[in-house]
Amino acid sequence: MAFFRGQQGSVKFDDGGSTTVAIASTRSWSLTVEKETLDTTALGATYRANVGGLISGSGTCEVFYTATSSDETNVFIERVNTATDQGGALFELFLDTSGTKKISFTGTVTSSEYSATVGEIEVITVSFVTNGTITLDI
Amino acid sequence: MAAVNLNTIRSTIEGRLATELALSPVIPVAFHNQPLTPTPNSSFVQCLVSFGNNNFLTMGGTTGSSNSVIGVIVMNVFTPKGVGPGANLTIGKRIRDLYNRQVVSGVHFDPPTGPEVVASPAPEGYFQTQVRLTFETFEDL
Repeated sequence: MAFFRGQQGSVKFDDGGSTTVAIASTRSWSLTVEKETLDTTALGATYRANVGGLISGSGTCEVFYTATSSDETNVFIERVNTATDQGGALFELFLDTSGTKKISFTGTVTSSEYSATVGEIEVITVSFVTNGTITLDI
Repeated sequence: MAAVNLNTIRSTIEGRLATELALSPVIPVAFHNQPLTPTPNSSFVQCLVSFGNNNFLTMGGTTGSSNSVIGVIVMNVFTPKGVGPGANLTIGKRIRDLYNRQVVSGVHFDPPTGPEVVASPAPEGYFQTQVRLTFETFEDL
């Protein structure tokens, strides 16, 4: 049985929504995919009934600050400061180093937390939400 | 990018101390696995560099990833016995200032601890203090 450790993951991103590039110095990523539920309980029923509704996702990615510039990593950490964002940026979240097990979607960066703590490596936490289809190739 | 060269890091650390202690007043210094026969009633320094924890820093496989390499430097400062701590602390300050919060060739030095007086000097016949500090460097694969 195969198991995987966190360091086998990775993140790729392209603000243009086409060819993704690896985000350097990624420490972690997470994605929560949620499905809304619709209550379809009939009047007089004993048990509640639910059916699935709209699906959406949100997540975060932690990146170490490396003073990178003029590359996709720099675009990624500054994406939140984009004036017009149509949600077309392409995200790929990988679960293993083979590059075949991934979650991909287009989405919008909703926040970036830039932080510096004495004695620790500086970290930027980028949060995002999905826009449209979420593809699970896992 | 390549795996970290431990001797390059060691050279950065030891070279910095050797250069400083070669300035006037010159203080003999011995490093790991080196002999030193001290002159009686004189001062000398022993510098011991050890590598410790290595940790995952970023995601990725054997390429395009980074690790944290942490180590410790222990420096024993020996000065003549029976004449007070002044000369010893003067050397201790030189060493402390040399590394305190410095970043040299990618090696990040933390604030030093000490000089702390060592109750039982080794070798005997000296007044001994110890300056210790940790350092961190980053391995880019």
